[in-house]
Amino acid sequence: MSLPTLTSVNGLPVARMPTDVDAANASGVGDELAGAVGHDDRGLILDFGETRYLDSAGIDMLLRLDERLRRRRQTLHLIVDERSPLRRLLAITGVDRSLTIEGDLADVVSAIE
Amino acid sequence: MSELDSPAVSAVPVGDAAGEPGDHAVEPPAGESDAWLAVAEMADSALAYLSLEELLGQLLERIRALVRADTAAILLLDRERRLLLARAAKGVEEEVRQGVSIPLGAGFAGRIAAEARAVAIEDVDHSNVLNPILRQKGIRSLLGVPLIVDGRVTGVLHVGTHRRRRFTRQDQQLLQMAANRAALAIDNARLSEQRAFTEVLQHHLLVERPPQVPGLRISAKYVPAAGALVGGDWYDVFNLPDGRIALVVGDVAGRGLPAAAVMTTVRTALRAYLFERRELEHVVALLNQLILSTGRRIGVSVAIMTLDLESRELVAINAGQPPPLLLPADGSQRLVAHASGPPLGSRLSAGYESETLEYPSPSALILYTDGLIERRGESLDAGLARLEHADLMDRNDGLRLADRTFNRLASDQALEDDVAVLAIEAFALGAGFVVTLEADPIVLASLRRVVARWLMELGIPEAQRFDLTLACSEAATNAIEHAYGPHDATFRVHGEASDEQIVLHIADHGSWRARAGRDRGRGLTLMRALVDDVLIDRSAAGTTITLISRRK
Repeated sequence: MSLPTLTSVNGLPVARMPTDVDAANASGVGDELAGAVGHDDRGLILDFGETRYLDSAGIDMLLRLDERLRRRRQTLHLIVDERSPLRRLLAITGVDRSLTIEGDLADVVSAIE
Repeated sequence: MSELDSPAVSAVPVGDAAGEPGDHAVEPPAGESDAWLAVAEMADSALAYLSLEELLGQLLERIRALVRADTAAILLLDRERRLLLARAAKGVEEEVRQGVSIPLGAGFAGRIAAEARAVAIEDVDHSNVLNPILRQKGIRSLLGVPLIVDGRVTGVLHVGTHRRRRFTRQDQQLLQMAANRAALAIDNARLSEQRAFTEVLQHHLLVERPPQVPGLRISAKYVPAAGALVGGDWYDVFNLPDGRIALVVGDVAGRGLPAAAVMTTVRTALRAYLFERRELEHVVALLNQLILSTGRRIGVSVAIMTLDLESRELVAINAGQPPPLLLPADGSQRLVAHASGPPLGSRLSAGYESETLEYPSPSALILYTDGLIERRGESLDAGLARLEHADLMDRNDGLRLADRTFNRLASDQALEDDVAVLAIEAFALGAGFVVTLEADPIVLASLRRVVARWLMELGIPEAQRFDLTLACSEAATNAIEHAYGPHDATFRVHGEASDEQIVLHIADHGSWRARAGRDRGRGLTLMRALVDDVLIDRSAAGTTITLISRRK
């Protein structure tokens, strides 16, 4: 199963998402991401720079993760390139209305601060 | 252990003249023709069909009768561990049941093996005997001779008596003759047993069904060296969870069972590492650690490639293997991905670098082990040049590329080394494709690669390509959820392109169910948003989803 790679930027956990998030790995990726956020972290950044496909199971995982973090007063930030086809997908599914989506890491960092 | 540490031997070797190590040419003693016949029969055809266990049992029975002894036992030498292991016994069966092992050089049997000569003990000193079973059995006198094949000691044959007996030179000559016969028979049986086992191992590993990838022809060939034990060459080809295809060719140094055993370990570990890690540098470092951790000093050369048919990206890393051959559509042939370091298995095995190559469609790629190009008296470069200039792309002979490669390069002479060849040929999918897939979400990434690649070849723009590919993937997810049986459940994807539209049919054998959980219906909503038309046909035979996207 393809899982995200975890790093951190300015003390905030950053997950580099796998090339594909689908029914095969969505729940495993979700568990991995939930486990990556400490109680003291302000939130979690998901970098979709290498991601080609995100299916409905992946969208569902993102919404659940967002809900879970919100309950802990933490924020979920998505980095998706402006030109990525994922942008349209997030618009079609309405996810862009409930989640914070930025074009690159610098935007996320300035949005947080 | 040396002889000096072995106080259990309380007698001197029997006379040197007849007891020379490796003395194969002992003539039958006069007046012992019956005994001689009995020995001669030990290698007769009746014994040739017995298993090693049965063979040893029969041999010991004959030997015991021949020298009128109460017990007879055979210990075989484990050269690597420097131990004699009881393998068969008559009258002292406990030796085998209890797994008696004697260090080379120690005690009665250990000394016979270490010095490669006969030893007789007329009155066994039980306070010093290493093997407690001989004491329990009340063995009084012992005579033992080495088993020798091609000048190398392979074990010990010894006989014992309950009553004190002074073994004569004639007894010893007879026993040595029997031992010489037995040694050859055992060696042959061991070799054929090992060979059969190794071949089963190789066969089991190599003849798995390669992944079914539309637009990709995969062929492989493994040929063992002529008249020798099979070696540790292997190939592997499989889908990775992220849709890439992994191609592996490797070679474990050595031959026979030890090499084959290491090969199976390495092959399996490599699959696991490739499933977990994307960076080939990490995969190779992990594999090297694994090999070092076995404590065996064994060299493993390996070439690993991963192919992404959608991005046409071929990533390669090579530790000690000859360079694979790339055959682009323009008819050129070039060696690629030269080794960036020595074989794995030593502390020096580090710093391997991967390289990324373009793999356009159509084109072909051949990975192979050195047996394909190496010839006695010829430099490696000459062999590589032969491969680089071989006429391999003749498509009219009906042969698969791996077979043709083998025929052109290595079929004109007896092979001195094993040969493994793994070849792939990518070709354009054209107006349509059909693929049958396992009903398991693990296939989704591979399916998307196939669909995206097909659409790219058709010149479909990126946004539409993404939408169709994702819609197809959603429909496939539905089909997978409909599958009822855990095994043999498959679904089929059929793509058709015309000038007006792209059509994808995703057919399963189950009945339609709305998906469980919170994403209920999201898959279908998504499909409808991504393509122009979604048709769902539910019948007793199964459900077919048809996706239609008009060409813009």
